[in-house]
Amino acid sequence: MEVPYVNIALQYKGLEHEILPVVKEVLKSGSYILGKELNRFEHRIAGFCRTRYAIGVANGTDALRLSLHALNIGRDDEVITAPNSFIASAGAIAAVGAKPVFVDVGEDYNINSELIENAINERTKAIMPVHLTGRPAAMNEIVDIARKHGLKVIEDAAQAIGANYRGRRTGSLGDVGCFSTHPLKTLHTAGDGGFITTDSQEIYERIIKLRNHGLKNREESEFFGYNSRLDEIHAAILNTQLEYVEIWNKQRRDIALRYSSELSPIVDTPEEKSYEESSYHTFVIQAKNRDSLRLHLSNMGIETKIHYPIPIHLQQAAKYLGYRSGAFPVAERQSSQILSLPVYPELTSKQIEKVIEGVTSFYK
Amino acid sequence: MRVKYSYLEEQFKNPDYILRDLEKLVKRGDFTLGKEVEIFEKRFAQLASAKFAVGVSSGTAALLLGLQAVGVGHDDEVITAPNTFFASVNAIAAVGAKPVFVDVGEDYNINSELIENAINERTKAIMPVHLTGRPAAMNEIVDIARKHGLKVIEDAAQAIGANYRGRHVGNFGDTGGFSFHPLKNLNVWGDAGMIITNNPDISVSLCELRNQGLKDRDTWTRYGHNLRISSLQALVGKHLIKDTSDLTERRIANALNYDKELRDIEEITFPQRMIELREVFHTYVIQAERRDELNKYLNEKGIESKIHYPVPLHLQPATKYLGYKKGDFPQTEMQAERIISLPVHPYLKEREKKKVIETIKEFYR
Repeated sequence: MEVPYVNIALQYKGLEHEILPVVKEVLKSGSYILGKELNRFEHRIAGFCRTRYAIGVANGTDALRLSLHALNIGRDDEVITAPNSFIASAGAIAAVGAKPVFVDVGEDYNINSELIENAINERTKAIMPVHLTGRPAAMNEIVDIARKHGLKVIEDAAQAIGANYRGRRTGSLGDVGCFSTHPLKTLHTAGDGGFITTDSQEIYERIIKLRNHGLKNREESEFFGYNSRLDEIHAAILNTQLEYVEIWNKQRRDIALRYSSELSPIVDTPEEKSYEESSYHTFVIQAKNRDSLRLHLSNMGIETKIHYPIPIHLQQAAKYLGYRSGAFPVAERQSSQILSLPVYPELTSKQIEKVIEGVTSFYK
Repeated sequence: MRVKYSYLEEQFKNPDYILRDLEKLVKRGDFTLGKEVEIFEKRFAQLASAKFAVGVSSGTAALLLGLQAVGVGHDDEVITAPNTFFASVNAIAAVGAKPVFVDVGEDYNINSELIENAINERTKAIMPVHLTGRPAAMNEIVDIARKHGLKVIEDAAQAIGANYRGRHVGNFGDTGGFSFHPLKNLNVWGDAGMIITNNPDISVSLCELRNQGLKDRDTWTRYGHNLRISSLQALVGKHLIKDTSDLTERRIANALNYDKELRDIEEITFPQRMIELREVFHTYVIQAERRDELNKYLNEKGIESKIHYPVPLHLQPATKYLGYKKGDFPQTEMQAERIISLPVHPYLKEREKKKVIETIKEFYR
């Protein structure tokens, strides 16, 4: 019995009879871009995230980029974020011409709010906390710091659909929330997709134009923009998938909690605070001899991943920023110890047991 | 009888053969780049006779990535036409460069004789737009670019299948950007685009830049974007590309028929057709006296005519900071008040074409 890290084909199995009819319907409508499916999705997902507005865009990276642009963040501005995220977070900051400034993370893999103020200077315009692994960052502290210094807060919630923080949804905690609906995400379409949430009418109206060439109407462009629209086909698929998000999140949480209770005596497992509810996009442990453990699991047919082996500040693309090895000790230490175990609704009880057995047997 | 500008319902009356293939894709779950993208890229490279084709998320993305791949960035200037769609200029602005406009000629394309006046030490590239599907004066443009050490990024969004002296557009410059938006001559079921190039280094750069700047899963060489073509749309494109040549021929036939029928109306002019060009008529644009009245008249009679585009880019709120004013581009401005696009799509019926012609004749009678 193999335990693959993801099984996208399995994830869509049984869904094809839901997906294909709606694709066909969109096709027949002759309306493929910015139509009624998107409109419906935006209303529903705003309801889900409990924000006033949601705007569908081409993908999660664009969600970050358009949000930064809408908040007037650009050249010579600085944006504070975490160095252990997927490269899209820092990439979006660079794409608008701003400078990513990294702050080390805590044991929860999220930006350490106590270190943020040290990184603020007169060029700082925003903080971009990443809810990595699906676990909400310390948003109360972050929003307080932002208010104090007049900064914007952009939540990178690409991994955190449906996660909760003190009874509120991720994406409703900062000025804007940015989500991805990539096939590997809990709420997914059959390709790239994403959306932005906000309570601000002003930001909403700006992003609506930014995603569509800066157009105010068919004939007038108010400002430069992009083509970053969510296709009707993808919006229609998302409308069918949205029904399942709460169930899928619960299934992921159940698996995660089972891993935690069985594995916490042996390896470092995530410990949620009482007011956090992670969506477990990934289930990340920290382990001694990580690479040997990974090999051991692999030999048993259990596939694992590392999210991510090289922190952003040590990547070639970030070299010009001048960070050195040792700049972010926690992120760097974690990068050599972290291991992501398979966590998705389609895992069978036997597979879950096998993963637990695999980790346990290695340390015997 | 309505004569519609769009034809999508007609075109996709029987999409089942594509949907069956789509079902297989859904079962495989191969949704990020992957096999379908590779096949579509290969077929498109073949259609455009280019060495490399890179699928991207839209025509706008094709231009943006082309600019970035040849090194255009902050404080650089890019020369283009002021009568194009917003996307050309948005792409220039998106990489941090400054759009510099040069007036167009009778053919709606950048007037190559005026380009050198606009070149200075910050100029990095020329972006000719093959507007309406008619190739710009590529020989002249490429000569100027060589002389001044400039890059050429062809905006071929409207020009799939167009040739200039027997060579497919997009092959003259460093890159050529195409769009598969639902209204384009090769269309998919949403946004998608393609870049062609004959330079292997540029091709590698484009592949990295569209996918977060990644060389492989864990090596990040430069900042990039997520501007990948949707695999689902690539699958659609892979099928529809087989019809492109036939559909293009039908468009051209419709256009030449209009030419013939409208030639004798004094109040109407259109660009002279040139033997060395294969125009593909993404739009069929005539210039007409009393244009607004004609447009209204046609629409009242059930004929969906359009204006591409009523307000030139240098007079848009978004470009105000560039400091252009009315009168800067007389040809563009004059055309903006006279141009009108007639339905020219391949699904027009004989009686619909007749109705368009009769109605125009009636208006000027």
